[in-house]
Amino acid sequence: MQPTSEAVLGVVFLPFLAAALTPLIYRILGERTAYVAAGVALACLGLVTSLWLDGAHGVVAYEWIPSLGVSLSFYVDGLALLISFLASGVGVLILTYSRGYMHGEPAQPKYYAALLAFMGSMLGVALAGDLIALFVFWELTSLSSFVLIGHYSDEVASQYAARKSMLITVSGGLFMLVGFLLLVWMSGQALGEPTYSLTAMLAESEAIRAGLRETGLLVPVLLLVGLGAATKSAQVPFHVWLPNAMEAPTPVSAFLHSATMVKAGVYLVGRFRPLFLAENAPVFGEWTLLFAVLGLVTMTVAAVLAVGATDIKELLAYSTASHLGLIVAAFGLANEYGAEAGAFHILNHASFKAALFLVAGIVAHEAGTRKIDALGGLRNHLPITAVIATVASLSMAGFPPFNGFYSKELLFEATYEVAAHSGGLAWLLPIVAVLGSVFTFLYSIKFASLFFGDEPEGLDHVHRPPLVMLVPPAILGALVLAISAVPNLFIGALVGDVYASVLPGDAHSFAVHLPTSLTPYVLMSAITILVGAGLFPFYDRLHAAINAALRGPARANWWYDGAVEGATELGDWATPRVQTGHLRTYATWAMGATSVLALGGYLAAGVALPTFSGVGLSLAIVLVLLVAVISGFAVSRAPSHVAGVLTLSILGFMAAIFYILASAPDLALTQLVVETLVLVIFLLVLDQLPAFYGEIDRLRASRDALLSLVVGATVFVTVLVSTAANPDQALREFLSVRAGLPTEHGPVILDWGGGGNVVNVILVDFRAFDTLGEISVVAMAALAILTMVRMRTRGEMQ
Amino acid sequence: MTDGIDGGPVDERDPVDGHERTDGGEPVGAAHEAEGAADPGPASGRPHHPYDHPYDHRTTPISRTVTRIVVPIILVTAISLLLQGHNLPGGGFIGAVLTVTAFVLVYVMFGLAYLQEDVLGLSASPEEDHGLVSGYRWLFAAGLALAAAGGIVPILLGHPFLTQAVIFLEALPLYGELEVASALVFDLGVYFTVVGSLLTIVGEVGSE
Repeated sequence: MQPTSEAVLGVVFLPFLAAALTPLIYRILGERTAYVAAGVALACLGLVTSLWLDGAHGVVAYEWIPSLGVSLSFYVDGLALLISFLASGVGVLILTYSRGYMHGEPAQPKYYAALLAFMGSMLGVALAGDLIALFVFWELTSLSSFVLIGHYSDEVASQYAARKSMLITVSGGLFMLVGFLLLVWMSGQALGEPTYSLTAMLAESEAIRAGLRETGLLVPVLLLVGLGAATKSAQVPFHVWLPNAMEAPTPVSAFLHSATMVKAGVYLVGRFRPLFLAENAPVFGEWTLLFAVLGLVTMTVAAVLAVGATDIKELLAYSTASHLGLIVAAFGLANEYGAEAGAFHILNHASFKAALFLVAGIVAHEAGTRKIDALGGLRNHLPITAVIATVASLSMAGFPPFNGFYSKELLFEATYEVAAHSGGLAWLLPIVAVLGSVFTFLYSIKFASLFFGDEPEGLDHVHRPPLVMLVPPAILGALVLAISAVPNLFIGALVGDVYASVLPGDAHSFAVHLPTSLTPYVLMSAITILVGAGLFPFYDRLHAAINAALRGPARANWWYDGAVEGATELGDWATPRVQTGHLRTYATWAMGATSVLALGGYLAAGVALPTFSGVGLSLAIVLVLLVAVISGFAVSRAPSHVAGVLTLSILGFMAAIFYILASAPDLALTQLVVETLVLVIFLLVLDQLPAFYGEIDRLRASRDALLSLVVGATVFVTVLVSTAANPDQALREFLSVRAGLPTEHGPVILDWGGGGNVVNVILVDFRAFDTLGEISVVAMAALAILTMVRMRTRGEMQ
Repeated sequence: MTDGIDGGPVDERDPVDGHERTDGGEPVGAAHEAEGAADPGPASGRPHHPYDHPYDHRTTPISRTVTRIVVPIILVTAISLLLQGHNLPGGGFIGAVLTVTAFVLVYVMFGLAYLQEDVLGLSASPEEDHGLVSGYRWLFAAGLALAAAGGIVPILLGHPFLTQAVIFLEALPLYGELEVASALVFDLGVYFTVVGSLLTIVGEVGSE
């Protein structure tokens, strides 16, 4: 059924509206704003549910930028609905939980506004049916994440973390945009007309894929889109931002950095899977090589790093990266099991990981520490929390019969099928998958073990969490149990449609069962659990060994910090050379760069100079220009500033006279008044300059001479090239005719300029938008001078 | 203009103003009074001569007189250029730059404070270096707003942004039929923006 447009618009824009109103609401309600925000999330959840109940599937489109073919369109299908369910449903729980967690914290209006804006952007990402809309919402999630990670904006660690996540995810998004634009270009080649519409591309995936392969763009586009997904979903080596993002308040980590935002990358992979992966694709196509390898490497590396973690939130952060790797790997494999595993694990991971983050929040809040070494035996103080943590951890470990087991089993099945089919190196896939799962098992059990065993010193003041902090993780824990108990109900209701969304061609739903016979993948699960259980007594040694191995270039952070420091040093090195505070240096760099870019552009575009066809000038014009040239030379020989400025203005006035002779009265008038004004301003300023600067050395003089020659040549070539191309005759006629008045006309006419001065009619009527931009620039220049001159003495330094 | 030639009202008001400020303890007026008194130039000894303005030290009576005559002419020319721009050479930008030229002429001849304090009667607070600039700031903001509003009104009437119309007003006294282009509103916006911006720049740079 076609989705109702009101519901879709409500889902996406209600949170933004609420975010805008949050400061006002906070003024009235104070900390109870949390409940209003949760209510908004609940309304979104209700709308998503109504869409789901209607069995909505289809596109809702609005005109946005019709001249570019960009529309604000929303596409509702299984994948979109699942992500929307997660964003709004987890959103309700997180916002409720925040009421307890953020009690007494600073800057709450900002916090709730950013969370709501994030939720709207995430819903936008999930529902976007247009590449540009998708990109805009995508970057909006990065921006709101930046604000939320940097919530404690005075702390250096928060600033570092916020900048890091921003740099990595936003730049990844830009690569993705380039990939999108290539896709759009390709759709123009393949379909006859370029389209930004995702649905149109998915419908014609065969043609687009063939076109991409033909032009050799398939791999670049895959890499570009993959970069966007990998940075957002914290895949190795871009996982470094996620552990730092744990500087954010814990509800934010639970919401953005486990259940939703990091799922955006996974969503992108799933969304584009049917576009890049043919129905009968080879087992090892480009798609599989990229995403299966990326995902499995991430799954294993991040799981190992999680074992090396010393902080519970850090552990969960690495674990999140690892599980996202699992989903990416599953989507990367070109068989049905892969699609099933990915689709199911999105739901499973959100359920147990959000619960675990909220548990971590309770632990940090009530025990006052997040250090793994300092925690233990929490069961005595937090009995309900302990139950939730145990259930969720076992699910995360992939322990049967919890829901995490089913999706991991499907991944094993997928990797095994690929290996059995291809043999050889392909056996690495199941081996790496098992290896990653062993470490997953280890850290999951470690997390659960914090609630058992002996209590370390100094943990005697743990108090019970408030009810608002306990109910949300309890609901999520119950969800884990529910999915574990009746997985096929959830698959039939929700995940089956996701599966259909990520599979090329027509697809049906699927079902999972507890294993009854000993298949190879059951064996893989058994190995995982047995090896994991066998290694667990040596957890501390593993932990120490991992941390010992992580030194220097082995850490991805070493590269990130090195790159950022290098860029900073480069800036420090370049700034005093480019910006010396001397006007001449600024002029040298600005003009030199402009000339080089312009000339380089002409060369790159292969612009030919027009052939010389003789001088068709009258004697008067030649004389005027001659005077101008002579005055130009005279400027450089002028004995004083005043003489120089006056000589320069001779040149300007000659240009004005030239305009008059060339019958351009408007230009001449403008040149005259501007020249006059500039002359006066010059004379005002000259008063402040020293009369004599001293002799300049020969080197500098020749450098300046060279620069002025290059600038002159650039202008000369530009004028030649730009005047060689005559505007379309039709355009010229249109402008000169339509600027005036028709012979017969009514009292009001819109299509004609009604003026005798074509130049001015163009300025204020035909091209008024350009003029509006130009006067904005003039106003900005005034503002800039105002701020620079007026405020330089009372800047932030005081 | 006649005021300018005989120099009457404006100049006669000057000393009075100066005294008032001294009495009221206005620091600026007092400072200028002191400056005028300390000036060793032709002003000394003849404090009440019509052309002895306390703000200028370098301009001659000839140039000041010419300025008085010329400035109103420039302003009228500028406005006519603005209004005739639709049919003859001219337009908002040219008119604006010419207007600024007139102002700059006054600044150069009579100093920055003259226009503000003696012609407009505004008092400058010593912290805000040049009080008129805030007025100019409003001017360019208003100009931009006017130009943008000229674009938005057509949207409200169901046309694209910045659609301009030509309207014929019939049976007006004196004029008969008058053609009005709505582009004039936009041009006025350009005019105010450019005048405001340039005067802000000149005022700021000049007061340095």
